[in-house]
Amino acid sequence: MLDFSLFQSHLFYLAQEAASDGGSGNFYAALNQLVNGIGIVGILLLTGLGLAITFGVMRIINLAHGEFIMLGAYVTVLMQEAFNLDLVLTIPFAFLGAALIGALTEVTVIRRLYGRPLETLLATWGLSIVIQGIVKILFTAQLKYVRAPSYISGNLTLISSTEGNPAVAISYYRLFIIAIALLLLALTTYLLYKTPLGRQVRAVAQNREMSKCLGVNTSMVDLLTFSYGCGLAGVAGAVLSALKSVSPPMGQDYLVDAWMVVVTGGVDKLVGTLAGAFIIGESNAAIAFFLNDPAARVIVLAAVIVLIRYRPEGLFTVQKRA
Amino acid sequence: MTQVLEGNPQQSKLPLKLIITGGIVFVLFLILPFFLGRFQTALMSKLLLFGVLGISLDLVWGFTGILSFAHGVFFTLGGYAMAYYLKLNLSTDRNTYGVELPDFMVWNGLTELPWFVAPLKSLPIALIAMIVVPSLFAYIIGWFIFRSKVSGVYITIITLAISSALTTFFVSQQAYTGGTNGITDIATLEIFGLELTDINLYIVILCFATAVLIGSYQLTRSNLGLILRSINENEQRISFLGYDVASFKIFIWTLSAAIAGVAGGLFVPLNKFISPVYLAVAFGTQVVIWVAIGGRGTLVGPVVAAILLGQVQNYAERVTQDWQLVVGVLLLVVVLFIPDGLMGLIPKRFSLSSIPKAMATSSSSSGHIQARLLDWLTPSKAWVSRLGNRIGRGKGRDRSR
Repeated sequence: MLDFSLFQSHLFYLAQEAASDGGSGNFYAALNQLVNGIGIVGILLLTGLGLAITFGVMRIINLAHGEFIMLGAYVTVLMQEAFNLDLVLTIPFAFLGAALIGALTEVTVIRRLYGRPLETLLATWGLSIVIQGIVKILFTAQLKYVRAPSYISGNLTLISSTEGNPAVAISYYRLFIIAIALLLLALTTYLLYKTPLGRQVRAVAQNREMSKCLGVNTSMVDLLTFSYGCGLAGVAGAVLSALKSVSPPMGQDYLVDAWMVVVTGGVDKLVGTLAGAFIIGESNAAIAFFLNDPAARVIVLAAVIVLIRYRPEGLFTVQKRA
Repeated sequence: MTQVLEGNPQQSKLPLKLIITGGIVFVLFLILPFFLGRFQTALMSKLLLFGVLGISLDLVWGFTGILSFAHGVFFTLGGYAMAYYLKLNLSTDRNTYGVELPDFMVWNGLTELPWFVAPLKSLPIALIAMIVVPSLFAYIIGWFIFRSKVSGVYITIITLAISSALTTFFVSQQAYTGGTNGITDIATLEIFGLELTDINLYIVILCFATAVLIGSYQLTRSNLGLILRSINENEQRISFLGYDVASFKIFIWTLSAAIAGVAGGLFVPLNKFISPVYLAVAFGTQVVIWVAIGGRGTLVGPVVAAILLGQVQNYAERVTQDWQLVVGVLLLVVVLFIPDGLMGLIPKRFSLSSIPKAMATSSSSSGHIQARLLDWLTPSKAWVSRLGNRIGRGKGRDRSR
């Protein structure tokens, strides 16, 4: 049962997508594109969430975010190779692995550079090169493939055309990604807003000095927050590992997009990240429907640049005095 | 618009020591190709151009404090202008299809030259385009982002997005840009009937690099340079003093894009091709790494770093595949322990000119690094000794090393 790899099912899915694009009417094609967009939204949300924590709460410009995603994916590869684990069961390990390495980098690098954003940016870029290099040595540059569980393969047909072919469909795996992303969003919101630790985290984000005076162990809070953000990236890596092949430079693909999501949504509230992912994902899909994929990417990036120019704090941030 | 400070003490002539040393270094570089093989000459030309690109970034980052990942973009835009010129002047019989139209346009189904490429067949227009296209692009971006409340880090993110978007754009417009392959198989650059190859090209590039270095040096020591450095130090204060900070930023941004564009233009006859690889974020960060490792605000630093890293890479890649790892570690070490870069390691008494900069705060550079290293170890020192106490041996003695 388990050897039905998602690599195959993904190809199958792509073929289906092409068939449904060609066969059905324009309306269904458009609808299908929007549903596809939802799939992209899931991926964006998942990759942006960790960044929303590290950047939004701690103001750390983390250019190594993509590498933590990659680390999560490699943890999954390792778990599957060693213990033949189900992908879903490797998620906690991916979280722990990425969080552990995140904690290590926080102690050795990030902590030394607080309050110097440009230096942090450079250091995390160096870090991303180093992590990539080490992973390349440990696992070689060869592409690795991850098996997705067989019970989340195939497509969910939302609307069937008159001949009975699926006209609008979404793969179960994309739904799974969205579910995980929303679950993590809910969990993070709960942790941040309903637990004592979350309250401390928010306090440190608002006023570091004052929280220190009130007895908050700020360095511990920083450590935990950064590790949590990296852990989320790890989960993203584990889940996304089945979509494409796993390789050392894979994180780079997600980095710019994750940043765009966080910057669009604003980091004031986690809902902003959801909204940012939704706007970017869906507008990408919509523009790609009328033009093509590269054009969609260029237009969306240009739009984000314009957005940063006029609202650097993001769309969903309440104006407040500094 | 702006009132220039009078009687600026820094408006002195070039120090004699600097002129002599600079002259010696220039002559050394001039006779260098006669001792090197063709490969090394080409490599050195390339590294000099990368150094110039580093200087152009140093002007905006080291002096004005704007960290940009988009300098590879300006470089490549200049490069494409030159590449179109060389491609259009490729003799018809050397072209794959034996027609005047570039091969990549033929196989993408174009029947005639696009209007924006056609004028690049003439050298003067190509040379102008090489400067104007990147600087115009930079001016538009600069005008757009510097006249707003957008600050440091967000500008850097914008440059990331620009680089990413332009890469996608150039790759997707296959018929006009040659797609992922870029523009390959081009003619040799010929100026006034003189073919620019190997040594000729090296000397042109060396002269260009020297001119840029001297020009930037003078610029940074002028009143303008003083204002730029002050913007880096305290932007708000400078704007309170009545300076229009945005125009200064736009000026230096555009100027540095023009320098980068020319460097890119000279890079193409050397490299024999240009492709979106040089547009991508990875190349942009490479430039940032040269400046960071060489030393921000030193001008010479980026050139030294580019040549040093390039040469070491040349030899290291024969032995190991993991050269990038070394660069990453180096970058981390520089950011954590040597914020002034390699140039900051040179003891002050050997310094040829005193570029007035904040780095003058550290009296002895080696002592400074030691202090930073100790600083870095301090938390772990406490941690290790606590661990030692818990284990019950050693009582934390001598555990700091």
